Amino acid sequence: MIFNSEISGQYEHTTSPVVTGGSVIALVYNGGVLVGTDTLCSYGSMAAFKNVQKIAQISQNTIYVSSGEFSDFQQVVKELAKIDRSALQYDDGVHPSPKDYGNYLARLSYKKRCKINPLYLQNVIAGFHNNDRYLALVDIYGTYLESKFITTGFASYFCKAIISNYWNENCSLDQAKQVIRECFKVLFCRDCRAHDVIQLAYVDAQGTHIEEPERVETKWDFNGFKQRANEKLHTQ
Amino acid sequence: MLKHLYDTDCVTWSPQGKLFQVEYAMEAVKQGSICLGLKSSDYVVLCSLKRQPSELAGYQEKQFKIDDHMAIAIAGLTADARVLCKYMRTECLEYKYTYESHHPVGRLVFKVAEKSQHKTQSGAKRPYGVGLLVAGIDPNGVHLFETCPSGNYYEYKCQAIGSRSQAARTYFESWFHLFEKSTLEQLVLHGLSAIKKAIMEDEELNEKNVEVGILGKNQKFLHLNAQELKDYITKLEAFNPNSQIQQE
Repeated sequence: MIFNSEISGQYEHTTSPVVTGGSVIALVYNGGVLVGTDTLCSYGSMAAFKNVQKIAQISQNTIYVSSGEFSDFQQVVKELAKIDRSALQYDDGVHPSPKDYGNYLARLSYKKRCKINPLYLQNVIAGFHNNDRYLALVDIYGTYLESKFITTGFASYFCKAIISNYWNENCSLDQAKQVIRECFKVLFCRDCRAHDVIQLAYVDAQGTHIEEPERVETKWDFNGFKQRANEKLHTQ
Repeated sequence: MLKHLYDTDCVTWSPQGKLFQVEYAMEAVKQGSICLGLKSSDYVVLCSLKRQPSELAGYQEKQFKIDDHMAIAIAGLTADARVLCKYMRTECLEYKYTYESHHPVGRLVFKVAEKSQHKTQSGAKRPYGVGLLVAGIDPNGVHLFETCPSGNYYEYKCQAIGSRSQAARTYFESWFHLFEKSTLEQLVLHGLSAIKKAIMEDEELNEKNVEVGILGKNQKFLHLNAQELKDYITKLEAFNPNSQIQQE
């Protein structure tokens, strides 16, 4: 990616993100990889865009999600699509594997980090290739880590305990979905920039499946809340 | 005689629709010593005959590793081959750096062909005077390609290029239906038998003037060493392709 600023010599560095996406949680399960994220893009502390699809299908067997600056996410989706299109020119039927995408994104992120103009993203690439599950995190610095589960943003603080207690890498798809739903319940309660509408997507031997957004169940009609709302203050 | 009117440079067509400079470049390939390649479902084998410029000199190597999963055998101008070899190695390295996986074979051959074609469409350039046999393994399977100075490339089950290669090709035409299911040893022996057809009457195959390279789905590119070559050449005496038919 070459920006006009790089050609003209006047650099504009991304110092802070403007429109941001929230946490991403990805888990490997028996037969595939499951990814979950909410459908919110925040404008600072304002919940500005509440119905955003943040899960991108890059190829027949690869999913890409990220948290951070949403415009960077949109640009990366275009960059990754370019790689597969160039395969058309060579006419050899060879398509990039999920790992190829992950490594390419790592090289891209590292290059931009070296110019102190990063892609302000924590990226997650999930795929299923050659009967193998693939899940990798590429962070803002270009660090590339393959893993069986990945959390970004606040999920890294709140959700790791839930994941380690209720998930293992050979659980079923439904079990993995339940774990992610539980995680987003907690996030909605504790993370100010989280939203209760989430979207799940999974890749398995049959390809990618992106589900419809769903609302996590949260309970707000506790008696305690109602009492406190109605109680008289000391001074009254 | 008329040929000489249209053969000064690459940017002149002949009335018959030929580019003579490109055709002359292909002649350079035919002057090189023979090299051949053949593949089964799991292996590709490259065999070549090495030339010795004089008794005091060493033998000119004709096979070069491009990457763990790819190798070439050359016929023609060695200097031009070195340029293409370096280009292919660089491309493979860059691909590995970016994607952490092996460069698909067909794609690299396409790139080499494109590079070769540029040289045939300029007043100031000459075509590469070398033909390559590219052996490689990728997710699409086992491959053997031939590239030409003209910029064309073809995929083969087996092919021989260089001087007296027709004799080897004739051998292949008789036996190539056996190659798909051949074992590695049978494949090497077929390759050496084909080379034997192409050597001159007073020459003989020995471990010094023959070069054999092997690539497999689980086998990185490997040159056979002198002892292994000697063993194969000995086995060549007793090798009879007919016995392979009886096995199946």
